Amino acid sequence: MSGVVEGVEGRPPGERELVVRAQHGDPRAFEQLVDPYREIAFRVAYLITRNRDDAEDAAQDALVKGWRSLRRFRAGAPLRPWLLRIVANEARNRRRGAGRRERLALRVAAASSGEAAPSPEEAAVATAERQRLLETLERLPEASRLVLECRYLLELSEQETAAALGVRKGTVKSRTARALDRLREAYEPRA
Amino acid sequence: MNLERELTALATEVAWPQTPPLRAPLVARGPDFRRPLLAAVALVLVALAAALAVPKSRAAILRFFHLGAASVQLVERLPAAKERPLGADLGPVVPAITARGALHQKPLLPPLSSPPPLHAQNEVVSLLFRYRGETVLLSEVYDAEGILLKKLAGSATHIEQVRVAGEPGLWLSGATHVFFFPGAPPRLAGNVLLWQSNALTLRLEGRTLTRADAERLARSLRR
Repeated sequence: MSGVVEGVEGRPPGERELVVRAQHGDPRAFEQLVDPYREIAFRVAYLITRNRDDAEDAAQDALVKGWRSLRRFRAGAPLRPWLLRIVANEARNRRRGAGRRERLALRVAAASSGEAAPSPEEAAVATAERQRLLETLERLPEASRLVLECRYLLELSEQETAAALGVRKGTVKSRTARALDRLREAYEPRA
Repeated sequence: MNLERELTALATEVAWPQTPPLRAPLVARGPDFRRPLLAAVALVLVALAAALAVPKSRAAILRFFHLGAASVQLVERLPAAKERPLGADLGPVVPAITARGALHQKPLLPPLSSPPPLHAQNEVVSLLFRYRGETVLLSEVYDAEGILLKKLAGSATHIEQVRVAGEPGLWLSGATHVFFFPGAPPRLAGNVLLWQSNALTLRLEGRTLTRADAERLARSLRR
């Protein structure tokens, strides 16, 4: 698969040592452990809840649950998928309450990813296309939307996506392929 | 077009909500409970240390109750203490996120139409509100913070062991007792319900609060 780096666990150096220290009750070690993952934790929760308050609650409570259940974590395993699984579970619990659902949007004046500076007209067309792609993605059924957003927008590995969605790695592969087909059909309607 | 490449490009242009200041729980307690005996011994040592730290009580402890982050000692002679307002020395008003950080969870609140201001002092979150015409003080502290709420009671204070929603608690009534709130001088306290709930120790105080009202109020608290 192009565009997504496989097998990235984002494991900071010394993570194993920090895990051991945290498992022995060092709260500072736990803080250091989870510090690099705050943003990704919040965004995973946001994708699931689609409400920033619920996402904040889910991510915050996940940190507390992570601390309390750290003794069950196997030292040496990557922490990020483990933490994202807890975050996603918390987020799913909150999503069950009916509430306003927010939609993803593009940043204002999104920067071009091309090397050569485009003309204002080209930039406007490119922005409109990205907006249409995002809107099409947002209209997909939830299972398809979530797997693509985890894999491409958050750039989670298959292992992390599996943890966040509560499915097996093989399911992530097959679901991603089907979701891409659906998105392609919806985004590029045949004349 | 390459849809996957377009999706990857999209990743850099999504307007994500700003990540809030998430807090890792900072408590000096290990998540490793594989040695419960050692943990129990440590708790007792902490409790005894707290008891010995209370002035004028070293040789006169008749009974000792430990409940989460609170201790109650029945003593022969109460130390000197003054009656002070319930709202004295509760600490500054803090935003909900700060209270939540101190408790590692959302504080329990009474079912009021508008929530009262939250105060925090030395990891103890407190709020004052009116209940049936009486001012009531509710204080909450995360159990693992160690013993932060200390009480000395004389023989004229009734201490009953109760259960609140199935959780252990203590009801102190009758004569006033002396309460040591973190960072504040000791003061005389009225009727008090102490209980535990979901890793929190809670304390409810009102000058003339009845046990029935206190238990009813405790059961009504919500996040």
